[in-house]
Amino acid sequence: MAFMKCCFDSELPDFLESVVQKCTDPGCCCGCCSALRPRYKRLVDNIFPVNPQDGLVKNNMEKLTFYALSSPEKLDRIGEYLFQRASRDIYRRRNGFVIIAMEAMDQLLVACHAQNLNLFVESFLRMVQKLLESTEPKLQVLATQSFVRFANIEEDTPSYHRRYDFFISKFSSMCHSNHGEHDLRNKIRLAGIKGLQGVVRKTVSDDLVENIWEPVHMDKIVPSLLYNMQNLRSMRGQGKRGKEYDGKVCTTEEDEADEEEEVEERSDPPTLAETCMRELVGRASFGHIRSVLRPVLRHLDLHELWVPNLFAIHTFRIIMFSIQAQYSYTVIETLMAHLDDNSKSRPKIRTSIADVLSKIIAIAAGESVGPSVLEIINSLLTHLRQSVMREVPSRVPEESNDEVESIEEGDDENSADERQYQEALINALGEFANHLPDYQKIEIMMFIMSKVPHPGQEQIRSHHHRHHHRRYRAPGDALLQNILLKSLLKVGTKYRTVHFNTTFPLSFLEPLLRMSLAPDPTVRLLVQQILHTLVDRHHNLEKLLKPTIHVADLDLTLEKCSRPDVIFARKHGPAMHSSLHESLEQPGNTAENVEAVFTTAALLCAELACEDTIADFLRLLISIQDTALTNATLSPSHKYYLHSIVVSLFILVAHAVPIPPVMEYALKKHPGEEMTFEAIKKVLSDSWEKEREGEEEERCRQLCHTFRNADFNELVSRTQTKQNDVLQNKLNEIFGRLSTATGPDSFFGRSPPPHLIPGSSSPFLGRLHQRRSSASSSQGQVNHHHNSNSPPPAYEILFPELFVY
Amino acid sequence: MEDYKFLFKVVLVGNAGVGKTCLVRRFTQGLFPPGQGATIGVDFMIKTVEIEGEKIKLQIWDTAGQERFRSITQSYYRSAHALILAYDITSQPTFDCLPDWLREIEEYASSKVLRVLVGNKTDREDREIPTAVGEDFAARHNMYFIETSAKEADNVERLFMEIAAELMEQARSKELPRYDGNSPSLNGRTTVIGEGGCCSKFS
Repeated sequence: MAFMKCCFDSELPDFLESVVQKCTDPGCCCGCCSALRPRYKRLVDNIFPVNPQDGLVKNNMEKLTFYALSSPEKLDRIGEYLFQRASRDIYRRRNGFVIIAMEAMDQLLVACHAQNLNLFVESFLRMVQKLLESTEPKLQVLATQSFVRFANIEEDTPSYHRRYDFFISKFSSMCHSNHGEHDLRNKIRLAGIKGLQGVVRKTVSDDLVENIWEPVHMDKIVPSLLYNMQNLRSMRGQGKRGKEYDGKVCTTEEDEADEEEEVEERSDPPTLAETCMRELVGRASFGHIRSVLRPVLRHLDLHELWVPNLFAIHTFRIIMFSIQAQYSYTVIETLMAHLDDNSKSRPKIRTSIADVLSKIIAIAAGESVGPSVLEIINSLLTHLRQSVMREVPSRVPEESNDEVESIEEGDDENSADERQYQEALINALGEFANHLPDYQKIEIMMFIMSKVPHPGQEQIRSHHHRHHHRRYRAPGDALLQNILLKSLLKVGTKYRTVHFNTTFPLSFLEPLLRMSLAPDPTVRLLVQQILHTLVDRHHNLEKLLKPTIHVADLDLTLEKCSRPDVIFARKHGPAMHSSLHESLEQPGNTAENVEAVFTTAALLCAELACEDTIADFLRLLISIQDTALTNATLSPSHKYYLHSIVVSLFILVAHAVPIPPVMEYALKKHPGEEMTFEAIKKVLSDSWEKEREGEEEERCRQLCHTFRNADFNELVSRTQTKQNDVLQNKLNEIFGRLSTATGPDSFFGRSPPPHLIPGSSSPFLGRLHQRRSSASSSQGQVNHHHNSNSPPPAYEILFPELFVY
Repeated sequence: MEDYKFLFKVVLVGNAGVGKTCLVRRFTQGLFPPGQGATIGVDFMIKTVEIEGEKIKLQIWDTAGQERFRSITQSYYRSAHALILAYDITSQPTFDCLPDWLREIEEYASSKVLRVLVGNKTDREDREIPTAVGEDFAARHNMYFIETSAKEADNVERLFMEIAAELMEQARSKELPRYDGNSPSLNGRTTVIGEGGCCSKFS
């Protein structure tokens, strides 16, 4: 009330004063220069000082504000009049007055109630536009500030007719300011970014106003922000070195907590642009994400920001962290589609894109469910396949097993790049899988497995015809197997086995074991590595890489295997063992292959050995030993290796399963075996070069192991004995004796192994022979063979569990 | 005062270095900036001209010629009433790129946009593209044609004035609503010349 009174008191002198003042004002049109001018015009005129340096006349501004508040219907006319005055002043380059007019409009805007603003806003925005159109940076910046102020007001009446495209166009243009003065340029760019931020805030929440997500707008806004963001690095480098470029992902959160104005005052264009980008992405709904991402990708393409990809990674991280979580999958999808679009680009670009993918894919993994997971995996695998196919046509068709190595040797730069691309894709796959729950990892492993080109069934069964079959294989199959198994391995390493039966469902285990006999040794190696990572629950892998007899010193972590594990071992143990055994026989095996199989067997033993399963393990050992003794095609060094594996595994079995006789046996044999082992090792290293020379030692070894062979058999019986009754014990002895009888057999036949033991002469070894020659050896066959040669009831009673399957 | 009758948006495109910015500067500010650097993104100028006693406001968007800014520059084509496609008469490559530019215009601009081919730098002695070749190209692609020199201020004024006149003619013949200083249309869009977005607001 006091204010009001004061207002009326001063009405008269004020009025006179204004008349006087008007007459000196060159901007006044003479006809209006009278006391009859409308009151609002007089009030407006009065806020301008004589000298623009004096600034807004505060008292009079208060009067104008009060008038506007008490007569809101006049607000639009006040706005219009202010605008006209300002236009005139701009034209006459009297910027001081322009600034005052703008300030007055700002104050009115803030003071007045939202519902009255609608019409006033029109004049206000025309005023802003007018200022933005001027070439004067100062006015442009001023206009932007006013615009931002306006943008922060929540209007309650939508204005359907209001269009923002000029503002977006102009602000975007300002974001690219190339003003000669560095400071001024920064100011203009900052203003541009703030302006865009304002437009986004103003429009995004209201569906009725302009659709900011239209490509015509996004194609301006997004590149403008990115253009400023990409200078981040150089800016930071020059100025404070405090913040690391890469670790800069989440810093703006603290900024946002602060007063908005303050932040914007102290920001540099890159930081502000980044904040604005987060805001934009954060507000994007599902339908709008692509209209943001499209210009992002285009910008990165056009500005060649994929190689190196630091900025691309930075940008996509920002997007991933800002986007509403449920849509993050779309970003991955879009980026993959971009990879498709770039299928003809240089491998370096593709590698970079895939790398970006791998850096952000984990963020999406948490949100991906159901089919989208497999979609992502499938898409990655498709890219891998394409990449492999791209590589293949330029190559000589594969003929030999060493073909992969020869490729690596004969590399040109391009295929090295291509391989890097594949690595990047595999990494992305691994990253993605790493963040999925375990049950999905199994699904993924099975999915990948289903994509691996399998060697034909006959191929495995008939080793002799392998070369024949190889010729019919599609080129690149081996390479694709290789790549896909690498991916599988990557996923496998992220998986933690709890129960074997969940890790190895039959539909996964079966193809995996089949692949373990693939013609390509590198593929076989990969399969073993996959088995390692999946079998090794107790982190014994490092300790079991090489065969050793000092098992006790390895400090292995052993745990009694659980009931489900035993069931698994009984069900699938034989198949796994037989595939291990067969793997060892593959002709192209390198020392690495053999060692890898050893490790698998050793890990299986460490994880699964117990009273129930020990027989199977021992059987595996015997069959390996048999191979070492009888196989004609293996090189001597290969055989020595097999022997050393058998020794080492035997000690491991004894160590893992505390059955006294077995342990005893192992201990008893220890000193002698140590010698043997050392000898083997020595011979091994020699014999890689001069294979023929070791014939004497070979014979020696055969001798020794043939003895042991017999003992093993006895052991098998003894083990069983413990679980069976006395009667069986009796039968056992018979069986034991029978086995012992095979010892001399082999002893006498000293000549080269193949002729040493014909399958029929010794039931025991014959059995093994049979096993080896049939790919999916079953215990039934074993039994069958025995039936024809040895006392059948003994065996049948001894190994009752064998007949269950 | 905002008392113009029409507002038209003119967008300049063409290879880097053909003199787009100089043309705009010459026209809007009457000067020829020596050693003009490459435009970054998009530049904006305004000029009000008078034709047949009517005030016409020209919003001129001067785009960067460099390829890397193509994504942002293209987004300005859509709302243009007139597109000036400029080449340098002393540089065959800038002329050779014209078909590419036309493809872009086809793709991003309105089909009704007024297209003007401009051969700039007539002040230079080392001409590579004869006037007739430029004329021929323009005729084949249904464009207006003019040769200019931003440096000598030759034909620059005429270029923009003719565009303004032509656009005004079009606007009148279609009886478009006039731009009125009091109209609430903020950007002074004269509705449908070369853009059909007006009615889609509610969708």
